[in-house]
Amino acid sequence: MSRGELGISRWLEAHTDRSAGLTTLPGNMVLADVAGTGDYHLVLTDLKFNQDTKCRLKVYKGTLLVSDQPLPDIPSSVVGFYADQLEPRIPVVAVACGSELFAYKNLKPFYKFRVPFCPLVDEEAGVWTEVTNSESFGADKLLNALKAIPYASLSARSQYILNQTSPILVAELLRKCGKTMPTKENIITCMASMARSSRDRRAIACPIIATEFGSIFVLDPQNFAILHQANTCNVKATPFIIKSTGLFDVEFRLLIATREGHICLLRKGWLEGKCLIQLTSDIVDMVAVPGDNFVIVATSDKALHCYSKKGQRLWSTTTANLVTCMSLVPLEHISTCMVAIGLKNGSIQLYQGRQPVDFTSVADSPSVITFGQLGQEEHVMVVITIGGSISFKILKRTADFSSKVQENSPMLQSRPLPLPKRSKLFLEQSIRERKNALEIHQTFQQDLIRLRLSAARALVQNLSDQSGIGNEKEQLKLSAQVLGLGPKFTVILSLENINPNNPLVGLCVTFHVNPLYYVLSLYAAKVPLIPPSLSYKLETKVEEVIKEGVESDDLPVGGGKGNCKVIRVFVTRELMPVPVLAATINMPPTELIV
Amino acid sequence: MGLFQRLANFLGVRKKDVNVLVVGLNNSGKTTVVNSFKSEDDRITDIVPTVGFNVERFQNQNLAFTAFDMSGHGRYRDLWEHYYKNCHGIIFVIDSSDRLRLVVVKEELDLMLQHPDICQKKLPILFFANKMDCKEALSSVKIAAALGLDKIMDKPWHISASNALSGEGLQEGVEWLTQQIREMLSVKS
Repeated sequence: MSRGELGISRWLEAHTDRSAGLTTLPGNMVLADVAGTGDYHLVLTDLKFNQDTKCRLKVYKGTLLVSDQPLPDIPSSVVGFYADQLEPRIPVVAVACGSELFAYKNLKPFYKFRVPFCPLVDEEAGVWTEVTNSESFGADKLLNALKAIPYASLSARSQYILNQTSPILVAELLRKCGKTMPTKENIITCMASMARSSRDRRAIACPIIATEFGSIFVLDPQNFAILHQANTCNVKATPFIIKSTGLFDVEFRLLIATREGHICLLRKGWLEGKCLIQLTSDIVDMVAVPGDNFVIVATSDKALHCYSKKGQRLWSTTTANLVTCMSLVPLEHISTCMVAIGLKNGSIQLYQGRQPVDFTSVADSPSVITFGQLGQEEHVMVVITIGGSISFKILKRTADFSSKVQENSPMLQSRPLPLPKRSKLFLEQSIRERKNALEIHQTFQQDLIRLRLSAARALVQNLSDQSGIGNEKEQLKLSAQVLGLGPKFTVILSLENINPNNPLVGLCVTFHVNPLYYVLSLYAAKVPLIPPSLSYKLETKVEEVIKEGVESDDLPVGGGKGNCKVIRVFVTRELMPVPVLAATINMPPTELIV
Repeated sequence: MGLFQRLANFLGVRKKDVNVLVVGLNNSGKTTVVNSFKSEDDRITDIVPTVGFNVERFQNQNLAFTAFDMSGHGRYRDLWEHYYKNCHGIIFVIDSSDRLRLVVVKEELDLMLQHPDICQKKLPILFFANKMDCKEALSSVKIAAALGLDKIMDKPWHISASNALSGEGLQEGVEWLTQQIREMLSVKS
């Protein structure tokens, strides 16, 4: 039984708090066992964009807020990963703020990692070296020198100087910090984690950091040393979503979505990523489906695209509304992985492959969706909306997605073939056909030959049947019966109107005999009207002429030997020269009484 | 039934065997509840998540209870319904501190009450609002309201707040259950 068909939701509405007032962005919400008790908590950052209030790191146990601590800067991403094998297993929660990574354990900060500074562009470095070396480097000269360099590649200090309106302020700044070289901070834009050597759920994992200038760092989970550093792409690209598959020690693939609309691939050992996919519209969100290695991308033009791991587009579909966020919904107990897609109108659609199989809704546009274990429950979907509400939805244990699913894997063709539904009967039959092909063919041929034979037999029978001659066109059937042993016979003709609707009129019957042999009491007769489906019987007395001493067989009349002892019957219609029906009655030989 | 047996029953000498089913979500304390019904010597000290089910025996007022302590994990909840047929009573253990999963408790309870083996029988259901010592625990009244227990018209039910670790509230509940099962059996015989 499918609950979806009955209109009952597959989701239980566990809790909704419309006044939670949370502002968060994709990548800023994780489910982690932060207490190490097997009771999973929800960790998220609450963003505050005004100057006075600080952003906060909040932890929910079930539906209750258990921890709320301020963050030094606006966070960009949160990840949770296991850093060691110590019991109890407590994961590290890492929060990226600016160019720093704050690692929390037991909800307490314990380590800060700073992303190495970016090297300055040669021209800018030259300008600032001059500034530090020479005492009298004028503000105007500095401004002109900095203006010659592309603005985007400048350090924050140079950009700030260029934005100042009055040269006095520039001179002031120059006096304050003219003796030091500026630094170019590498702001963290997104993070992910990747298991190091085992696929276990609680395996040690490495944090991966992507920065504003396109650098990717894979860090050691214990001492936060840089294990691997690479560039996103050979062109300027700003990563904003990063997804990992594989194991760091074995083979891994990092998929990086950039603000410029590229999706880049970075594999183990590569120092620079390769641009795999180039999209024309902006990327809203991206998920990497494990197992199949597919990438599903939502774009700002209401489209969903699925790409293979080589970057070939497998399918595209349009959504009913703008996509705001996506989340993987792995369901191990039915061994599928679905994708939850949050739409701007507040509905969340669940896609299996390219098919939407289910939907649920929240109060307004969802801004982040997370699915996983929360508390003791394994299948919880946490949704935070743009309006600040938080909803917890639990997938029912009895939820059944199987009946509506017709196509599991995305296909290359744009439209599925209009194949009929395969019933159980059809499957059994096709299995049987495949197994016993020869026997089935032989049986069929045998039966076909038998059918043809019986048809031919019936035809021969019909042709040779003297008693039943019919004329299909006139809808008339004639049958004759010879009574008596001879030499006196009685011939009874039966004319049957086989037309069920119209009566037969104006028919005559004529008997034709050799007068040397037979004398009839009646040679011609008019047939009265025969009503439909009824028959008319006509009787005539026949007397065989027996001549003494003459052997009937020797008579040369009629040509053939057997033809002489016959009575011919013609049924004619008035004023028609051609008889409607003709028949020959073979007369039996007279049993002579000697 | 012979005169002697009837007399023995009347005097309460002969023990009757009754089966009770202990159900509830995982981590609600079913095994701990059953453990505290057992005699001091038989109790186990380490309680681990049950896989499948455990069968435990204990006595109360001349009724010999056979408790089927079912696993509450999602993947084993399908097993529950196989034991509905032969049970005389149900003990439903609820983690009263787990507010998030109260809807799941309600869902499982509704599924159970709709089951053909349950909905036609007048089985007594005992609810334990367990973990009453937790500070975020809901009261038994609130849980009864959240689960819609007042809508159960055709079955006797009782909810008692309990703390399976200390044994608080358990005796009250099991005495009610014993009483109900006795009544049910006497009506039958």
